Amino acid sequence: MSETKPKSPYALEVRGLCRSFGSRKILSDVSFQLKHGEILIIMGGSGCGKSTLLRHIIGALKPDAGEIYIHGTEITKLNDEELSKVRKRFGMLFQTGALFNSLTVGENVALPLLESSDVAPNIADLVVKLKLELVGLTGFEHLKPAQISGGMKKRVGMARALALDPDLLFCDEPTAGLDPVMTAVIDTLTVDLTKKLGLSAVVVTHDMTSAFRIATQMIFLFDGKIIASGTPDEIKNNPDPILQQFINGYPDGPIPFKLSKDDYFKRLMEP
Amino acid sequence: MLLAYAQLSLRAFAAIFAPLLGQRSWRLSALFNQMVNIGVASMPTVALANFLLGIVLAIQGAGQFQKLGATALVANLVAFSILREIGPLITAVIVIGRSGSAITAELGTMKVAEEIEALNVMGIDPVKFLVVPRLLAMILMMPVLTVLGEGIGLFAGWLISVTSLHLDPVFYVANSIDAVEQKDLFTGLLKALIFGGVVGTVACYYGIQVEGGAEGVGKATTKSVVTSLTSMLAMDALLTTLIYFT
Repeated sequence: MSETKPKSPYALEVRGLCRSFGSRKILSDVSFQLKHGEILIIMGGSGCGKSTLLRHIIGALKPDAGEIYIHGTEITKLNDEELSKVRKRFGMLFQTGALFNSLTVGENVALPLLESSDVAPNIADLVVKLKLELVGLTGFEHLKPAQISGGMKKRVGMARALALDPDLLFCDEPTAGLDPVMTAVIDTLTVDLTKKLGLSAVVVTHDMTSAFRIATQMIFLFDGKIIASGTPDEIKNNPDPILQQFINGYPDGPIPFKLSKDDYFKRLMEP
Repeated sequence: MLLAYAQLSLRAFAAIFAPLLGQRSWRLSALFNQMVNIGVASMPTVALANFLLGIVLAIQGAGQFQKLGATALVANLVAFSILREIGPLITAVIVIGRSGSAITAELGTMKVAEEIEALNVMGIDPVKFLVVPRLLAMILMMPVLTVLGEGIGLFAGWLISVTSLHLDPVFYVANSIDAVEQKDLFTGLLKALIFGGVVGTVACYYGIQVEGGAEGVGKATTKSVVTSLTSMLAMDALLTTLIYFT
């Protein structure tokens, strides 16, 4: 990068992030840091604000208050052009893969290479093969996304996220819908990348097995607030009842099974 | 809403002209794909619609001119109205129904499937990547389709006049050429060019702003077709006034 900014000790830093939709507060005062080469897991139940948090970090949403630093660059006030420069340094794996259905698997992976830099087509071909090898999909270049399974789409999405050799990787539910073997493959891949290439990763998930397997740092979001954070061991030993209910998967507890504790009969009879 | 539409249109046109200022060129393969989707694939429908309207014009005109004993004037009527008005108009209506709706539905589905967000995250501008090829193909193909449609419409008028109204084939053609000027052809094509711009920007705008899943895509497609039709007709009225009344 041309600008020489003092290198931040953190790959990602979020300070006091707040966001409401109408009167509903989705995120309130969320702050955390991610050091280079670490894997941060963001956990939390459905609707707790995890996806909203991730969308703020990638710059798709603007916060009401707070700052987000990626490699020391504050991104919440950047314009589209400056933002797209920062974005070239990170990769994102979307929940459903977000592949382009009109392009083949190979073209999908090559897309960031061909569109955002002047890479010769034969070099791009080589990179596509390398990245597909990485996710175990060699030989699938010429298929269309509609012809492969959901799990394979996700792995192609991973290959595409890695195409530009990012130094920060975001994954939205990377293992949802994958079989246990493929889950382990994706997990191992994430760990390998951070160890070998010094990549930092932020993974949003509620797959606890996978989370504890790869995390070096974890934060737990509940109702738009971080109620616990620390290393996997600290999280396991945290006595917070909400957290324990979540990581052990108890059906009822502090996170109520029912939406309201009103009398069930009364609610049924209400007009 | 109008502001967002204007913003998108400005950005799209800026991106269309950017290669002239030495920036990276358009994605030609995507442009050709869209030209085939929008243009070539619309040809049969455009031809059929214009053919049928040519027939209707000739028959309706003949009914009126017969009362005056001037059936030969059918040639003037058909040539005049097809070149100036009916050709560009009916072609635009077909393109809105076939391709405008398809563009909105396609972009809307991509929006819903996070594909447009994925482009943003990869640092690729969705306007350059998705809107420009579609808009440019629309602007280029609308006049082409219009010329084709007008040719077929004129032929249909001639065919009916010669076979059912017993007009002299050569005399009909001579009459047609006498009735119109070059200006009529060019203003018709100018209209088509502008219709292409209107339909392309409206269709892309409604596609890109889709929210709320499959239902959102359906609603946006309906809005896109209705808005395209009304703004196309409004543009037609405006252009006709500007060209023929000033």
